[in-house]
Amino acid sequence: MDQVGNLLERPRLYYNIDGLGELGGSVMCLGLGLLWWLLMRSPADSVWHRISFFVFVGLMLLIHYGIKTVKTRITYPRTGFVEYRRRRHTSAIAAVVGALATAGLAVAFRRHRDISTLVSLAGLVFAGAYGYNFARAVRWKLVIVGAMAVASFVIAFLPVDVLGALGSESPAHPDRAKLLGAILLSLTVYGTLLLISGGISLWLYLHHTQAPAQDGQ
Amino acid sequence: MNQQIRTIADLDRVIHEPGRLMIVALLFAVDRADFLYLQHETGINKGTLSSHLSRLEEAGYLAVTKTYRGKVPQTLLCLTGIGRKAFEQYRRKLKEAL
Repeated sequence: MDQVGNLLERPRLYYNIDGLGELGGSVMCLGLGLLWWLLMRSPADSVWHRISFFVFVGLMLLIHYGIKTVKTRITYPRTGFVEYRRRRHTSAIAAVVGALATAGLAVAFRRHRDISTLVSLAGLVFAGAYGYNFARAVRWKLVIVGAMAVASFVIAFLPVDVLGALGSESPAHPDRAKLLGAILLSLTVYGTLLLISGGISLWLYLHHTQAPAQDGQ
Repeated sequence: MNQQIRTIADLDRVIHEPGRLMIVALLFAVDRADFLYLQHETGINKGTLSSHLSRLEEAGYLAVTKTYRGKVPQTLLCLTGIGRKAFEQYRRKLKEAL
């Protein structure tokens, strides 16, 4: 019976067989980190503040269509095409969690609460999710899970002045600067780890699969 | 004990064959997939896979669509409603039997 359960899991694991899931996550983390950094370092009336929403939407579209294009050209001709079932409840849960996290951050910002340690430790949840979704099937990725967990602890316990310096040049709101610094550093570290892991996966995939034959099916 | 044996005897023979069980389980988890994907995941050769797919199609468990990916022919496969129900029932009976 377990073997049937394993078979039912395989299509889900197939999504990241080429590492593109991780590379997409990496582009998102690093892109959001860069946008965040630009918004923090540029004056309030700069062009970045006016177009930030469009940059964000553009980044999401780039990830979505970029992955689709690469899969169509590389993955589907090599190891086959899969169209996944739409799971509305998963999207709804993700939207609710995202909305709650954003609302929590907004409240912490307004009330100048120091939740930077909490935000950094949320990286443990991220590491757990990564482990469950990607590292379960590919054992070497447990190293990445470990690195993510260690990075979360290190960021959580970094001195205030280090995170504050990353977060803002102005010392007017040290808690806010510390929080911004923790988010920026987390995005950069997780983005880099996903880039490394996704890059290795893609390289291994290309190395171990044959270029497509032209005889069709 | 008799009941258990009867449950095993009642298992859907079309799905119970190992090759077809792999195919149905893989397709159950997705909306649709192509021939190449099934071949890659199951490790079954083209001829045997084709014959399993024909058997499933005959039973009304599988819908086959022939199309093109660019200039390359592509065979898309998806479980029908009957196929999904049959697999759910198969899993339930297998659990009871074990």
